[in-house]
Amino acid sequence: MKKSDKPPKSNMVIKEQRAAYVFLIPAFLGLSLITYLPLLAALFVGFTDLTIGHMVRGEAPQFVGLKNFIDIFTNPSIDFFNSILVTVYFALFAVVSSVVYSMFIAILLNRRIPGRAFFRAVFYVPYILPAVATIISWSFLLRFEGGLINYFLVNMGFDRVHFLSSAETVVPSLVMIAVWACGNLIVIFLAGLQNVPRTYMEAAEVDGANFWQRFWKITIPCMTPIIFFNMLMSLVVNLQIVVPALAVTSGGPGKSTMFMTYLMYHYGPRSGQYATASAIAFLFFMIAAILAAVLFITSKNWIFYEGGDDK
Amino acid sequence: MSGITNQTDIKIKAPGFGGLQSKKRTKMIFDIVSFTCIVIISALVLLPIYWIFRSSLMGSLDIFLWPPSFLPMGTINPVEWQWENYIIRPTSYDFWRYLGNSLTISVPCVIFGTSTAISCGYAFARLQFRGKRFLFALCVGSMLMPAAVTLVPLYMAWTAIGVVDSYLPLILPFLCGGGAFNIFLLRQFIRTIPKELDEAAKIDGAGYFRTLVSIIVPSIKSAIIVVSLLIFITTWNDLLQQLIYIHSRENYTMVLGLTAFFGTFKADFAGMFAATMLTIIPCLTIYILGQRYFVEGIVMTGMKN
Repeated sequence: MKKSDKPPKSNMVIKEQRAAYVFLIPAFLGLSLITYLPLLAALFVGFTDLTIGHMVRGEAPQFVGLKNFIDIFTNPSIDFFNSILVTVYFALFAVVSSVVYSMFIAILLNRRIPGRAFFRAVFYVPYILPAVATIISWSFLLRFEGGLINYFLVNMGFDRVHFLSSAETVVPSLVMIAVWACGNLIVIFLAGLQNVPRTYMEAAEVDGANFWQRFWKITIPCMTPIIFFNMLMSLVVNLQIVVPALAVTSGGPGKSTMFMTYLMYHYGPRSGQYATASAIAFLFFMIAAILAAVLFITSKNWIFYEGGDDK
Repeated sequence: MSGITNQTDIKIKAPGFGGLQSKKRTKMIFDIVSFTCIVIISALVLLPIYWIFRSSLMGSLDIFLWPPSFLPMGTINPVEWQWENYIIRPTSYDFWRYLGNSLTISVPCVIFGTSTAISCGYAFARLQFRGKRFLFALCVGSMLMPAAVTLVPLYMAWTAIGVVDSYLPLILPFLCGGGAFNIFLLRQFIRTIPKELDEAAKIDGAGYFRTLVSIIVPSIKSAIIVVSLLIFITTWNDLLQQLIYIHSRENYTMVLGLTAFFGTFKADFAGMFAATMLTIIPCLTIYILGQRYFVEGIVMTGMKN
């Protein structure tokens, strides 16, 4: 913030800078205090043996090196490997399904259909409702005994499915619920579709390109930045899945919904083993960062930037 | 889907005069197919919400009847809609208290979060300052950071300060910017306002704050409504944080009360569904009131850049 580097700046410029920093104070206070600092704290506490006992007695925790990080992998009652697997499995499955679904719905909603405003509003509803309320409703719809979905399946000649009550089907069922609730992605895709230049479409139509050709050669390439944005946002949200485990499954059946956030909740606020929970939190961050990085790196090959200028 | 293959066939032999008519026809078929798809899928989308409503008006045993009845009627109490399910004992689910508590959290969050997000979005959209690119990257980058990572450290911090079992840990973070996505959204909106308006205000002697309040804010009303609603919904529905920070029953919020009811109820399925219905009504009301701005508002930003 030193103000004399190269050319002497005018009063106006300095005034503008000062105003800008004032406007930014709350947001950056927040970013540092409730986002970036806690991340460092998680790493730091992960190397100690801090528990709620230390805090109650006012004792200082000891440094224990990598003990917690080794513990969470080797202690079978924590079973962090399982937690990583189920979380990543759920998240990737949910990201791909919800991006495909929401793109499909957005394309339909972008056409001139009667009652378009109404339908647009409908698809956003699941997103705004409390997840607890909707998961309760779903848990009844998906019941093995007397659930409406199983009634449909039986009528169509299929066998009944256990959905939320069996370890094999619980994650796909939760993916379905996540897809159902992804109205926010639809809205962002709709925004993106408005920006697909009409001139491209018209030109292609004049050249005799059919619907599929236009879809794959114009809509999709123009939408790749939005697809990327939605995949990223969806990844961050779905990695943090926790409400179904909190409200309905409690991590089960078996350990099939022991998601990482649920594990953090369990070892942190609930049982006061802060060091263990912090180690889990930091590794969770690393896993999220790696997945996001993979998405970023591969995106260079498939994102199409109009006019070639970078964002 | 079969409509699509038909359409390709026709299109290939399309050029010339006859093509125009078949083109019109395929477009119509396409419109009909899309419309049917949308109607069916939106019915499925609304099904779980309808199911809450249906089950809340039935007798507890009728909820499990096979085959499931689609309307709120059963064999045990045929036809009669059981509105008395909505008379829930406050010991199970204290609707008015929970509603008040939820509002006590969400309203300050909306006010503080939205106003700080506006000020931050304005700085990023309009003002020139050193380190702008870096600070903006830091801000947008935090969108990638899963909030769950900070759960444990923040819980320890709030415990150490001694404010657990109050609403402060839920409200105070919203004094600080209201989330990177909201800042980003407002910045995008502000950038669409012609800069000449700012300059005119400046010539009239308005400072940055005056410009923000009297020029920018009135022209981004719909974005402000969108952001307010997003913050409202986030705070209203945030079960995990409420679960760890609120312990006493009299401080419970709507979603927390519902979770507790769902976890402890014995056989009162109908009452539980009535409570679920009551939990979603405030959200639905807010959404219906602001819906016009909500979807269109985000769509109009053109999430470009």
